[in-house]
Amino acid sequence: MTESLMNLWHPIASSDDVQYRHVFQGQLLGREFAVWRADDDFVNVWENRCLHRGVRLSIGQNEGLELRCRYHGWRYASRSAGCTYIPAHPADAPARTICNRTFPSVERYGLIWSGEDPVGEPPQIAALEDSETLLLRSIVVNAPIKLVLGHLANYRFSITADPDNVATTSIDYQDERSLSLTATSDGEESTVVFFVQPVDSNRSVIRGLLSSSPSGTERLPTLRHHSMELSRLRDTVELEALDGPSLEPMVATIEQDPVALSEVVTSSGRKAALRVQVLRKWTTAEGVVGLELESIGKPLPTHQPGAHIDVHLPNGLVRQYSLTNAPGEGSLYRIGVKLEPDSRGGSACLHETVKEGDVLAISEPRNNFPLRRDTVKTILIAGGIGVTPLLAMAQTLRSNNLDYELHYFAQTDGHLAFPEVLHELGDAVVLRLGLSPDETSRALTVLLAGYKPAMHIYVCGPGPMLEATRRIASGADWPDEAVHFEYFQNTIEVDSSSSFEVSLARSALTLEVPSGKTILEVLRDNGIALISSCEQGACGTCEVAVIEGEPEHQDVYLNDSEKLAGQRIMTCVSRAKSSRLVLDI
Amino acid sequence: MIKLYDYILSVNCYKQRLMMSILDVPFESVPVDFYPGWEHKGEEFKKINPLGHIPVIDDDGFMLRDAHAILIYLASKYDPSGLWYPTSNPELIGETSQWMLFAEGTTNTASAARLYVNLGYEFDIEACRVGAHRLFRVLDEHLWFREQENLDWICSGGHPTVADIAIFPDVILSEEGGIARIDYPALRRWTDRVKRIPGFEPMPGIFPAGDARPLSHEGEVNA
Repeated sequence: MTESLMNLWHPIASSDDVQYRHVFQGQLLGREFAVWRADDDFVNVWENRCLHRGVRLSIGQNEGLELRCRYHGWRYASRSAGCTYIPAHPADAPARTICNRTFPSVERYGLIWSGEDPVGEPPQIAALEDSETLLLRSIVVNAPIKLVLGHLANYRFSITADPDNVATTSIDYQDERSLSLTATSDGEESTVVFFVQPVDSNRSVIRGLLSSSPSGTERLPTLRHHSMELSRLRDTVELEALDGPSLEPMVATIEQDPVALSEVVTSSGRKAALRVQVLRKWTTAEGVVGLELESIGKPLPTHQPGAHIDVHLPNGLVRQYSLTNAPGEGSLYRIGVKLEPDSRGGSACLHETVKEGDVLAISEPRNNFPLRRDTVKTILIAGGIGVTPLLAMAQTLRSNNLDYELHYFAQTDGHLAFPEVLHELGDAVVLRLGLSPDETSRALTVLLAGYKPAMHIYVCGPGPMLEATRRIASGADWPDEAVHFEYFQNTIEVDSSSSFEVSLARSALTLEVPSGKTILEVLRDNGIALISSCEQGACGTCEVAVIEGEPEHQDVYLNDSEKLAGQRIMTCVSRAKSSRLVLDI
Repeated sequence: MIKLYDYILSVNCYKQRLMMSILDVPFESVPVDFYPGWEHKGEEFKKINPLGHIPVIDDDGFMLRDAHAILIYLASKYDPSGLWYPTSNPELIGETSQWMLFAEGTTNTASAARLYVNLGYEFDIEACRVGAHRLFRVLDEHLWFREQENLDWICSGGHPTVADIAIFPDVILSEEGGIARIDYPALRRWTDRVKRIPGFEPMPGIFPAGDARPLSHEGEVNA
């Protein structure tokens, strides 16, 4: 019998059980669930177990769009259940493979329906379709489902909630987990549909629905009448179950935890692993289009604030765009694309050629601009379209109740992208419109005075503005590690004239890098797959650790102290000052 | 200042700390070596409480013992609003007293099971657990029907009372005594509400709740 129950949809909670900012603890066929409603009303049904140390997520905290585990504070995004933040590694982006197990959920008749491996849709009951129904209080019974159903067939109830009102009850139908009863008295009828949820081999929940809701003053007495009668039935069933055979508890299979907590680099180059459809395309500001990309088939992987995707365009170009939506907000990716006057064909293609309904190939999201959440204050500084990753950050900081400000430098208010999101962020947004470079520097000087530990800056915008921000922050005693930046592109003139040797410590291979070729290209030519994205030293994807030798940095991804330390290198543009580099690959 | 003869892991002492934190009453904690020292059973402590129990308070020379009696005293004396121990309303004070007696039951079952598991007290553990489940069933049903009337607390006023403070610690730590709350959804929701009372203070084993959904969201829903 368990086999067939596995393939059914079962009610596992009432809609009222799953309140905002609460985590409901449920169980079905031996498996425990953490069930939680996101602020956008999406109901998550997850394995009740944190991937990290196995602690129940039902004691965690529902933060609106993320669920935070109580033990070590790991956060998981609504819908996808992917990990978005690990407090023990505040500066790193969690690997995409850390994703909790999810189960389907549908809300119908005031109940949350889910299942181990349900087929089709949750049941549709004719008696419950047309009228306003009344959900009875659920009753937990320490007895097997079969025994409970057997007793429910003999359930007798009064139509008017007056115990002296004697009704005749008949069974409309009965199957392996539900039954419908109709009581008739003086020509009046009342139908109740019961679903029995198999919690475990010896535990069940009776969930009943009246096909018509009694009027105002009758509502509460009716609920009390059924609660009392069903409690009485429960006591009888439980006594009988005590005499029955003792049943082994059901054991739910727990899926293997993902082996890799750090991402293994296996894919080669710029892989377009996902197919998405353009759900919506609209002009969000002067010269800027917004695009909402919806998954085709399986749900999109979790992204973290600061993450970007590669978009493989119909004309063969590959471009990087930051995701503007916060994790847990919808199962889509939202990007903003500015038409560059000197477009080499990337932004022009998205503006002019791509339309709603088109299918695009994109990479999985990567995050080389991760947001710390162990902060006392975060200052987000956006220049023009550089606002895109910062919008995702702002929404996350807001939802986590962390102190932040978003300073948005733009030409005019017509140039402000995603005004509806800015509106929602409210007072945290400070608009800085039409400032000259000098005025911008003065504004930044005022803004960046007063550094304190655990304050962080995130800046994204045009090169000169990033240079100014980094210079002013450094002058105001901000340490390099508190100033996070993301360039649109690398405007450094890359010098590829040097030639040198690279030794690959883990691959036991030594290769020559001739002038005119990049390390990345030489590695690929020799069959060593390394992931990359922008391939111009801006995004940080092709980074490799340096064990020995002196790198010649030509990227805009590493900050000055990271460059000085010489422990990491962007293999797409940077080279060697020494004759030899030993790399950790 | 009030002196509280206190032990960090005692639910009954925690009830006093929680009440005083909510009422913003400063107090001094006098640690009693409850475990493993059994100081509360020693001759010295019996001069303070011949029953050999904590908590005891000393409010400027006025000594009072028994957790639920102290709660009533604290609320009566230090809550100018009169809502935590609502003496001015006969029905409400009747209900409050009824549930304060219920709290004796949860203490003697759920919290006793915890003492058995954590501190090696000799109780009939099965009887404690069965008894706790019996009371939790009653309380869960009670709180479910309260919610049907848009009422958040154990007593029927619109404000929590000492009864909520007396019962909450026994409930929220029940899993330490092997009493799961998975079958009591309304009870679990109520514990979230108690944790969101301004001035709420946790103790080891109790986690604070996160923030409630901001009000700005509710406008969106209605719009």
